[in-house]
Amino acid sequence: MRLAFDDGTLLLEDAPDTVPYAEWDDRVEEYRARAQHYRDICDWLADPDEQATLTQSTATIAEFEDDARAYSEFHFTPSVAIEPRDYQQEALSAWQDNDRQGSVVLPTGSGKTFLAVQAIADAGVSTLVVVPTIDLMNQWHATLTNAFSEQLPDGVGVLGGGSHNITNITVTTYDSAYRYINEYGDKFGLLVVDEVHHLPAPTYQQIPEMTISPYRLGLTATYERADGKHKTLKELLGTVVYREEVDELAGEYLSEYETIHLGVELTGDEREQYDEEYGIYRDYVDSHDFDLWKENGYAEFLKRTSYDPQGRRALIAKQRAETIARTAEKKLDTLDTLLKRHYDDRTIIFTANNEFAYDISQEFVVPCITHQTETDERTEILERFRTGEYSMLATSQVLDEGIDVPAANVGIILSGSASKRQYAQRLGRILRPTDDRQPARLYEIIAEDTMETYVSEQRRQGVTSDANS
Amino acid sequence: MLTADLARSRTDENSITPLLIDTDEQQYRETAAELIQIFEEHLGESRGELEDTIDQLTVSDTDYKIVQGLAKLLKDECEFETVAPVDPRKIRQELFEVANRNHPIVRQPTLGEDTQSVWIYSTVADRLGISLEECYRGMYADLEENKRLVRFGHRVSDKYEGADESSTTTRLTGDSEESYAEDTITVDWLLTRYNLALAQAELYDATEMRIRVWDSFATVFSYVKLFGLMHRIYPIDSDGNRVPSTDVADGYEAILDGAASLFSKSRKYGIRMANFLPALPLCDRWEMEADILDDESGSAGRTLSFELDSSSGLSSHYSAQGEFDSDVERTLAQKWERMNTDWKLVREDDVLDLGAEVMLPDFAIEHPDGRRVVFEIVGFWTPEYLDKKLAKIRDADRDNLIVAVSERLDCSSDDFEGMDDRVLWFKSGIHVYDVVELAEEYAVDGRAPDHRH
Repeated sequence: MRLAFDDGTLLLEDAPDTVPYAEWDDRVEEYRARAQHYRDICDWLADPDEQATLTQSTATIAEFEDDARAYSEFHFTPSVAIEPRDYQQEALSAWQDNDRQGSVVLPTGSGKTFLAVQAIADAGVSTLVVVPTIDLMNQWHATLTNAFSEQLPDGVGVLGGGSHNITNITVTTYDSAYRYINEYGDKFGLLVVDEVHHLPAPTYQQIPEMTISPYRLGLTATYERADGKHKTLKELLGTVVYREEVDELAGEYLSEYETIHLGVELTGDEREQYDEEYGIYRDYVDSHDFDLWKENGYAEFLKRTSYDPQGRRALIAKQRAETIARTAEKKLDTLDTLLKRHYDDRTIIFTANNEFAYDISQEFVVPCITHQTETDERTEILERFRTGEYSMLATSQVLDEGIDVPAANVGIILSGSASKRQYAQRLGRILRPTDDRQPARLYEIIAEDTMETYVSEQRRQGVTSDANS
Repeated sequence: MLTADLARSRTDENSITPLLIDTDEQQYRETAAELIQIFEEHLGESRGELEDTIDQLTVSDTDYKIVQGLAKLLKDECEFETVAPVDPRKIRQELFEVANRNHPIVRQPTLGEDTQSVWIYSTVADRLGISLEECYRGMYADLEENKRLVRFGHRVSDKYEGADESSTTTRLTGDSEESYAEDTITVDWLLTRYNLALAQAELYDATEMRIRVWDSFATVFSYVKLFGLMHRIYPIDSDGNRVPSTDVADGYEAILDGAASLFSKSRKYGIRMANFLPALPLCDRWEMEADILDDESGSAGRTLSFELDSSSGLSSHYSAQGEFDSDVERTLAQKWERMNTDWKLVREDDVLDLGAEVMLPDFAIEHPDGRRVVFEIVGFWTPEYLDKKLAKIRDADRDNLIVAVSERLDCSSDDFEGMDDRVLWFKSGIHVYDVVELAEEYAVDGRAPDHRH
């Protein structure tokens, strides 16, 4: 019998009819199984009657040829010598005890990536890390590079965001993984899935299904899904092996900060243009009865803009108005003042879009990170910020999940979206303890009497209610 | 191809139909012409400017989704490049280094120690030997929106003519220069491609495709293979009913899906089916039916039916089984008639289903005494296709198969692993007696073993 990886599945050539997990494929007249059952089938081969361990399998069955497995073993030692915290150590042990399968639930900012680094070193096999966004992919890349790059001749691989470089430790996005997993599902012995609650979806769940990885680790702060679909995760990655709730960590690793809101007026010209464009948008909306503050009301509006030329014009007007508010001239004056005050500090400037981040980068000659920044340049910029070579940084990115962004003591939000979660996480970034410095300080610069005022208001409520819940 | 959000379709109870446009309709022709003009006028300009112009375009009467769809297809024909005298990343690094030693850099200096950004830029420009403007513009010249449009279709920006061509890739079906060497982007070209792209976009969520074809089998199954689809094949009569044997077949029905489709309905292969679709209009007569996963219905796994056939007016930009092939074949057939041999050259229109592979031999060579050999001519194609073809020939492992390969192909006889002696290399045409010689050696009695299904 020969085991081969075929386009995201396992082809079981000349297999006996008793082979488990397999179905007869009349197209090729062989048995075929999902790639995820690789470990189960190896166990069965090792001992058809009893469960056995993975390592014994190939030795036990003489006429069994394993051409499916294309991953390697290593002895990785993370080069960052940080002592794992108690709960991280417990989580790791629980995962090991569960045959290196299953999910770990830890609150945001509690070092999930650090745990993954430990798990990769522990498993000692080629690893694929799957994350939801390109932002997160970049952050993971930076962390893994930090920990392992000296032991990886080809560095940490990146699949996604324009890069297609597969190495023994590779980071990818859900979308790229879904697209390519049928090609690379045999190359990794450990599959790490970040924000694993996104995985149960007809498309994404094919990532674990088409992977032979015997070891699997899911990470999230919010395991349960409202639709109950998290139940499928057990089959895909294993059960929840460890869980730490927010309360148990609160106060211990989170810190204080103060927020200062600064309003700026639009200039005369800006005000005139803003009112005109906003008027076009508002008139259209008012004459069509959309309830814009409801989610489907706005979707309704967007739908209309695709076939109604006036609606299209209204959408363009809205975008122009937003741009005026976002890039208001006086915001830059205010930023000027803040930079004069804080040029000796470590400052991160947040913008809601790339364009403005680049404007600021050119205007104030500060390094800037957006989702367009290539992974290795991003890693380099963050490293230089960490070492103090750069003391300022502009970014349009949501620096999620408390991973690798070096601590700053001043944050300046120049514009933001109304997403509660995004905002809270941006705060979280700056809140991280920084030596013996004074409390971190967050400035928010908002254009007065524009849509931004509303957004900012909404955002603060979001944070407040989050804190109370 | 279009992105999924640019698809336009109508959904009935159980079926889905792409909203193809009437390519003679004046409004679409005007929109297409206007877009093509915008692209032509932006040669040498930045991608950002091009996209802004398209974004701000409001065309009355034309659904904006159509405008975006047309623009997407035109963008697929574009090449954008970074234009800067020094690697932008190098410029940035220098700037940030100098800047970091001179904070605060402000717009309105108040104190003696405040720095203005222009000082930083000119310092770095001098250091790199470029102008102040080149330094400022070059800093982010590698951003997608700052890259310049250097090629649109066959048109190359004057400023960058002769720039290196290393980035051009050759693909059989892609949007490379190769496929369109003689194509000019016209209104007709664009609108025709758009309809095809709309049909392709419906297939992104397809789980299974069933096709029926009555001609051009070799072409169709080459593309099935090329795009990595798996198949089950059934011979059919002229009405499309399945018949028991290929001997009485007028055409073939094929059910296409992928490896993992065995376990559950998967949309993983939808993109491959979308890529395959343009092969069908290469047939004179074809029918296609696909199952499309319907997420919005709420019931998991429910599918809609999507049907198309030769009457839908789609046309293909893929190449049919090389014209080169048919030339060589025609010449060989003509020469054969003039030759004095008992061996007969007969058209082989069988599809040999060898499980994972399909063999589509061009000819059979038959002797009156019942000996027979199957003859495949490998014509000119891209290296990727050739690789697959050679592998297929190797895998076939049949004794009565002989092959003629054009020396114009970029491959050596080493690729045939033990089959070299039954391979006939030829330059411009095939000599009849060479083929007869091989036939004498390899022919076996009776018909080839039964086809597996």
